[in-house]
Amino acid sequence: MQKKIYQKFRKILFRSILNTLFILAFVVSVMAQERTINGAVTTSDTKETLPGASIVIKGTTIGTITDINGNYSLKVAEGQDTLVFSYVGYETQEVDIKGRNLVNVELQIAKVSLEEVVVIGYGTVRKSDLTGSVSSIKADDITKITAVNPMQSLQGRISGVQITSPSGTPGESPIVRVRGVGTFNNSNPIYVVDGVILDDISFLNAADIASMEVLKDASATAIYGSRGANGVIMVTTKSGQAAEGKTQFTFTGEYGMQRLAKKIDLLNGKEFATIANEIKPGSYNNTDLVPNTDWQDLIFDVAPVQNYQLSASGASKSMQYYVGVGYFNQKGIIDKSSYERITIKLNNIYNLTSFLKLGNNITISPFSQQFAPDVTWAAYRAQPVLEPYYPDGSFGVVYNVGNPLASLAYSNNFRKGTRGVGNIYADLNLVKGLTLKSSFGVDASYIKAKNFTPAFTIYNPDGSASQQENVLSDLTKASSDYLSWLWENTLTYDKVFGKNSINAVAGYTMQKTTAEEIRVQGANIIRDGENFWYINPNYIYDPNSNVNTISSISNSVNPGQYYSIISYLFRVNYVFANKYILTGTFRSDGSSKFSEENRYSYFPSFAIGWNISEEAFMKDIDFINKLKLRASWGKVGNEKIDYYARYSRVQSDILAVFGNDIPNSAASYGIYGNPDLRWEVTTQTDVGVELGTLNNRLTAELDYYHKNTDDILVQLSIPGYFGNGQGAKVWYNAAEILNRGFEFNIGWRDQVGQVKYGVRILGSTIHNEVLEIGGNSGIDSVLVGGYLNNGIPVTRSEIGLPVGAFYGYQTDGIFQTQQELDAYPHASDAGVGDLRFVDVNGDGKLNGLDRTYIGSPIPTFIFGFNIDLEYKGFDLSLNIQGQTGNKIFNAKEVVRPDPYNFERHVMDRWTGPGTSDTEPRASFGGYNYNPSDKFIYDGSFVRIRNIILGYTLPQNWSNKIYMQKFRVYVKVDNLYTFTKFTGYTPEIGSGDVLSNGIDSGIYPVTSVYSFGVNLNF
Amino acid sequence: MKSTTIFFKIISVLLFILVFTGCEKFLEIEPQGELTKENFPTTPSDALLATNACYTTLRDWHYHSGGYPILDIMSDDASKGSNPNDQASTIGPYDVFGHTPTQDGLDRWWNQLYVGIKRANVVIEKVKDIPFDESLKTRYIAEARFIRGLMYFDMVRAWGGVPIVESTDPPLKLERSSVEETYNFLIEDLNFAANNLPLRSGYSAINMGRATKGAAQSLLARVYLFRGDFVNAEMYAMEVINSGQYGLEPVYTDANGVNGNNGIESVFEIGAIQSEGSSSGGNQYANTQGVRGTPNRGWGFNRPTFDLRNSFEAGDPRLKGTIIDLGDEIDGIVINGDGSTPDETYDEEGNLIEVECYNRKVWVPGENTITQWGHHRRLIRYADVLLMAAEALNENNKPNDALVYVNMVRERAREGNEDILPDITTTDKEELRNLIYAERRHELAMEGIRFWDLVRTGRAPAVLGDLGFIQGRHELMPVPQTEIDISQGSLTQNPN
Repeated sequence: MQKKIYQKFRKILFRSILNTLFILAFVVSVMAQERTINGAVTTSDTKETLPGASIVIKGTTIGTITDINGNYSLKVAEGQDTLVFSYVGYETQEVDIKGRNLVNVELQIAKVSLEEVVVIGYGTVRKSDLTGSVSSIKADDITKITAVNPMQSLQGRISGVQITSPSGTPGESPIVRVRGVGTFNNSNPIYVVDGVILDDISFLNAADIASMEVLKDASATAIYGSRGANGVIMVTTKSGQAAEGKTQFTFTGEYGMQRLAKKIDLLNGKEFATIANEIKPGSYNNTDLVPNTDWQDLIFDVAPVQNYQLSASGASKSMQYYVGVGYFNQKGIIDKSSYERITIKLNNIYNLTSFLKLGNNITISPFSQQFAPDVTWAAYRAQPVLEPYYPDGSFGVVYNVGNPLASLAYSNNFRKGTRGVGNIYADLNLVKGLTLKSSFGVDASYIKAKNFTPAFTIYNPDGSASQQENVLSDLTKASSDYLSWLWENTLTYDKVFGKNSINAVAGYTMQKTTAEEIRVQGANIIRDGENFWYINPNYIYDPNSNVNTISSISNSVNPGQYYSIISYLFRVNYVFANKYILTGTFRSDGSSKFSEENRYSYFPSFAIGWNISEEAFMKDIDFINKLKLRASWGKVGNEKIDYYARYSRVQSDILAVFGNDIPNSAASYGIYGNPDLRWEVTTQTDVGVELGTLNNRLTAELDYYHKNTDDILVQLSIPGYFGNGQGAKVWYNAAEILNRGFEFNIGWRDQVGQVKYGVRILGSTIHNEVLEIGGNSGIDSVLVGGYLNNGIPVTRSEIGLPVGAFYGYQTDGIFQTQQELDAYPHASDAGVGDLRFVDVNGDGKLNGLDRTYIGSPIPTFIFGFNIDLEYKGFDLSLNIQGQTGNKIFNAKEVVRPDPYNFERHVMDRWTGPGTSDTEPRASFGGYNYNPSDKFIYDGSFVRIRNIILGYTLPQNWSNKIYMQKFRVYVKVDNLYTFTKFTGYTPEIGSGDVLSNGIDSGIYPVTSVYSFGVNLNF
Repeated sequence: MKSTTIFFKIISVLLFILVFTGCEKFLEIEPQGELTKENFPTTPSDALLATNACYTTLRDWHYHSGGYPILDIMSDDASKGSNPNDQASTIGPYDVFGHTPTQDGLDRWWNQLYVGIKRANVVIEKVKDIPFDESLKTRYIAEARFIRGLMYFDMVRAWGGVPIVESTDPPLKLERSSVEETYNFLIEDLNFAANNLPLRSGYSAINMGRATKGAAQSLLARVYLFRGDFVNAEMYAMEVINSGQYGLEPVYTDANGVNGNNGIESVFEIGAIQSEGSSSGGNQYANTQGVRGTPNRGWGFNRPTFDLRNSFEAGDPRLKGTIIDLGDEIDGIVINGDGSTPDETYDEEGNLIEVECYNRKVWVPGENTITQWGHHRRLIRYADVLLMAAEALNENNKPNDALVYVNMVRERAREGNEDILPDITTTDKEELRNLIYAERRHELAMEGIRFWDLVRTGRAPAVLGDLGFIQGRHELMPVPQTEIDISQGSLTQNPN
C-alpha cells in the first residue's frame, strides 16, 4: 500500500517535471520542425541505468534528464544534430544523432574524478597542477568526531597540523597550529568559508561541509597575504549537484554519552590525614575515622550529547540548492555547563543566463551556552577529609578553595547569541575563459551574556561565616556585536592552447570589521529569580545607604576587531604539457592597523612543479603511476595585532587630590605606542614529492618546510626617561622564529575479496627555535611568560630555545642527610629530605640565577594513523593520533599557598635517608614547590581518538523502506589515551604561546560513546 | 551576442575597474573612545586634566624612593623594620649600604620620577598652544615646572647628573647631563614656578595642595642649601618667611597629622583620600610604614632606631611625636603590634639593639589599613623652612637672626612646657651650626630628610660609617642596572 503511494508520488513528481520540460521544449521548438529522440543512459562499467542524467541539445539550453529507469525522450528541431550527455562523476559525451531516433548511451566514469580537484584561494586546481602544499579532508571524515567545531575532525588526519583540544568545556574550540608556532602573538590560522575570511568556524555544522583544505606553504597561502602566515583553512560547504534531478534528502541523528576519560589519582581521606600528621603532628587523632570525600566523583557526571541534521539538495537547470538544518546539544560532565546550537544552511546557485550565475552561501547559527565555574581545580585541591555537606544538608566549608558543589549551585553564567555568515556572488562569463566574479560576504554576530550570583554564605563548623560567601547578590550583563563585511572582485582567465594551459586570477578586495561591547554590573538585585536579572536602577540599591549599586558601566570597541583592509591580488598558474608547472602569486594588503608609512605590504611567492611520471622516459616504468616534484618559496604576513599598539594613548584612570580630600580628574600620556609597527613576515620554503605506485594503491606525499618568521611583534623595554613607568614595555617588530620539519602522508588502499581496506599514516616533525628577540631595540633577549596563579613565571623564550620553553630549577635527587645538605649549595629554606636543586651557574650559591631550561611545550613529532575497512554492509574506521617530544608543566601541583590534597606520588615520599631520591618529604607548600623539573611531565601520548563501526542495509532492503541508504553506527571518541601524564589529558594547549603546555586545572576532555543513524531518501 | 548582453558585460567591467580606485580614507580608522597623543591636550579642560596628572605622580608608591622609605633606612634614624624576614634580601641591604645596581626599588624610583617629568612635559610643551585665559595657562605651566623641578632635584640628589628630557618625544638615545647642567635646568624650572605661581592665599580651599610661590621658593632654598649656596638659600627661605603665608601648628603631631592637612605649616604636601588603592586616591607611603598586627595599619617598615630615640633632649615631646611604641594609646587606639615581629631584638653579645616600634609621623586615626592610605605626606613643612633659614643665616654670619628661627621651632616643640627645650643662645658659628643640625634631626626625623642632610653637610662618613657608608661612593645611588642595560652603553654608572 505504502509502496503504491510512494510510487504514485514519484510518478506525479516526475510527470510534472517532465511536463514542464516538455512545455519548455515545445515553446522553443514550435518554430522548427521536430522529431523525438528516445533512449536510455547506462554506465559503461556496471551497465546500471543512470536516473537523472542530463541531455542537452548542443548549442542550446534545451534538454531533459533521464527518468528513474534511465530513459529519456527529447524533441529536437531540424539541424540540431548533436546531443550532450552528462552526469556527475562521468565523462560528458557528445553524440551525433543525425538520422537516429533511438540513441542509447553508455557514460564512462570521468577520469577527472580520479584526479582530485583541490580548493585553493580564489579558485580550484587539479591536484596534478598544484605546486603548493595543500592537504584535504572530505565530508565523510569531517563528521566522524562528535564535536561542535569541525576542526576537531582534522586531528590526526592532516599532516603538519596540530589540533589541541585542551578542554572539555561544551562548545569549546580547539587550538589549531599549522607547521608549528610561528609567532609570539596570535598563531591562529585564518578560515575561508566559501570565500569569506573568518577567524573561527565554530558556528559551522560539520555535516554541511563538503571539504576542508589546509593551505600550508607560501605558494598556497601567499594569495592571502598579510593573513596567511599561520596557515589558511579553506572550507567549502555543500551545494546541490548540477543535474541531480531529484531532491536528495539526508538525515543524520546521533546520541552519545560523555564521561570523564580519566580521573586524577589523588589521596583518599586516610592517606591525606596520614601525610598531614607527618607534616604537622597531631592534625588528625585517628586517621581511620576521618571522612573520605572523593570530590572528583561529586563534580563529574555522565552527560549526553546529541546531534541531528536534516538536509535537502538538488538541482534543476536554472538552480542548484542545498538546505540543511542542524541541531547540536551538549551537556557538560560538570553541572551548569552546556552548549546548544542550531545551524541553518542555505546554499543556492541560480543560472540566470548562459553567461551569468548568481549564488549565495548562508549560515545562520543561534547558540546558547552555560559556563560552569572553575571547579576542577577546587576538586583537585579540596581536602578529602572534609564533608561536602553538614548533617543539616547545608554546604560544608572547604578551607582555602571553597566548596566546589556550592560554587556550582550558586553559579548562573550564560551566554547566547546568533552568528550569521554568508555571501552572495555573481559570476559573469565575459568571453570564453574569462570570468568576472563579485562576491559580498558578511560575518555578523550578536552575543548577550549574563552572570548572576545570589547572596550566600558557607559557614564554618562554629557558625561563623567562611571566606566562601557573596555578601550582596551581583549581576553582570553584557552584550556585544560584531560585523565584518568583505567585498571581493576577481577576474579569472582559463585558457588552453596547444600544450599550454594558463589559469590566472586577479582581484581587488575590501574588508571592514567592527566590534563593540557594552557591560553593566550591579549588586544587591531585589529578587534572586531570573525574571529580575536586569539592571533596573530602581531595583538595584544598597539597603544601608540607599544608594544605587550599579558598580560599573563600560562601553568600548574590541581593539583587535576594528579595522579595514584593502587588497590587490594576482596569481598565475602555467602548465606545459601536463609536465611543467609554474605558479606565481602576489598580494598587496593595506590595513588601517598600521600607520600611513607602513600601511601597505607586499607578499610574493613562486613555485614550480614537475610531473615526472608524465615524461616519456617514465612511460615504461609501470609500477610508478604518479611522481611529482614541487618546490615553492614565498612571503606571507601576520597582521593579528591590537590596532591600539601603535598609538600613544592617554591614561585617564588617575586622580589628583586637592583641598579637603577632593578627588580631581586627571589625564596624561600613558605608555607610548610605536607608530612604526609593521606586519610580521614569514618566509617559507617548501619542497615536496608526491608518489603513486602499485596501481595507485600506495600513495605517498612528503614535504620539507622551512618557515622563518621575522619582524615578530614583541614588547620590549625602552629607557626609563621616556616616562612609561617601571616595567612598561613598548611593541616592536624585533623577534625572529624558525620552524622547520618534514611532513609525510602515506596511504595504502586495496581490496581483498570482499574486503575493501585503507591504511593511512601521517606525521610531521617540528623544529621550533627562537632566532632573535630584542634585536637592537632594547635589553630584552628573553621573553618571560607562563605566569602561574601565584605570579611566578615558568616559561622563558630565549634565543636558541623553542617558543615558551619551560624555565625552573633542575633537580638532582634529594638531600638525604644533614652532611649532604651542608656539602651542596642550597637555598636557605632547604632542609634534609628536600629536593636538591642544581647550582647551574656553578657560583657556589643557589638562587634564582640557577633556574634554567627544563623542557619544551612544543612536540617534535605529531602523528596520526587511520584504518578503514569495508566488508559487505559493514564499515569500520579507526583513528589513532599522538605526539612526542613535548613536556607538560603540572602547575596544579605547584601553586600551594594552603594545605591542599596531593597526587598519589606523594605516598612514595622521603621519610628518612635512602627512602626516596625523587619524591621529597611531604610538605604543604614552600621550598619543594619552587618551579622545577619535578613538575615537568613527558607530554607524549598516543590516543585512540575515534572508532566507528557501521552497518549499511543492502540497497534492495533499504529501497523497501523507501530509502536509498540506511546506515546505523556506533562509535567511541577518545576511548583511551596512553600517556605518562597524571592529569586529565596530556593535550594541554593555550591560546597564549608563552603559556603553552601548562596544566593549571582544566575542564577535562571526555570520552564519548555514541550511536547514530544516516538516512538518504 | 546580443547587444544587451554586450552592454551588460561592458558595464560590469567598468564597475570592476571603478572599484579599483578605492579611496585611502577607507583605511583611516582613529582609535574609538580613546584619547591619544595626537588629540590631547587640546582644550582648556584638557589642560587642567594634564596639570592635575602631574600631582598624581606624587601619590604613586614608586615615587617614594621606589616604595620603601630607604632614605630613612639608610640614615641613622631608622632600620628596615617589619618582621626580620620581610624584604630582608630586597630592602635589608640599604640598611648596611650593601645595595647594588640591581637592588629592589631603584628601578621603580628612577622610572617613576621620569613619569612625573613626562606628565609635566605634556603641560609645558602642549598647553601653551591651547587658546584660553593666559594667566591660568601660565599658572598651569608653572605648576608643571614646579613638579618637574621637584623630580629633577630628587634625581640629581640620588644619582647626580641624569638625562634631561624636556620634550614629550625624546630621542631613543640620551646621555647623562652633568650635575651642573641638571641643577641649572631644575633651578630654571623652580624660578619660573616661583615667579608665576600664586601665593598660598591665592588658591581657594578646594585647590589647596597645588604648588605655590612659597613651595617653589622653599624648594629653591633646599636646592641651594644642598649646593652649599647659603646666600641664595637665605634669600629664598627669607622670602617665604616674609610672605606671611605660613606659621607653625601649635601641636607638633598636627604638623604631619590629619588636623594639619593643608594647614598653616604645610608648604607642600601630597593630598590623599582614605581609600585602599592608588587609583581611588590613596597613598601607600603611609601603609608601607603603618603599624603591623593590632591595629593592622600596614607593613611596619622604617623602624626608628635607638640612636634616634636617645638623641632627643630630655623631655622633648617630639620623641613621642616621632616614635610609636607598643602599648601606646593614640587617638583612643591601643597599639599592640605584630605577633610575628619580635618585641625586642638582641645582638650576639646580648645587647638590646631594636624594639618593635613604628613611625608616628605617618599616623592617621583609625584601626584598619584603608584609613592609613589617607595620610597627607608633607614634602615641605614651614618648620623646615625656618631651620633652613637659620642654617643659612648662621653660615652667612648672622647668628642672631638664625637664633630667632631655630628658637621658633623649639618653642613650638615645647608646646607651652617651659621646663624643656630651652632657647638656644649661642652665637658661636660652629656650635650653633651643630645645634641647628641636631634641631633638624629632632624636628624632621623619619620624614626622608636626614640622609640628605648628612650627605650635604659632609657628616655622612662619620655618622654612617659604622653602618657601611663609604665616602665617595654612597653619596649617590647606583643607576638601576636595567636602565644601564636598556641604554646599551649610553648611560654610565656612578662610581662604586
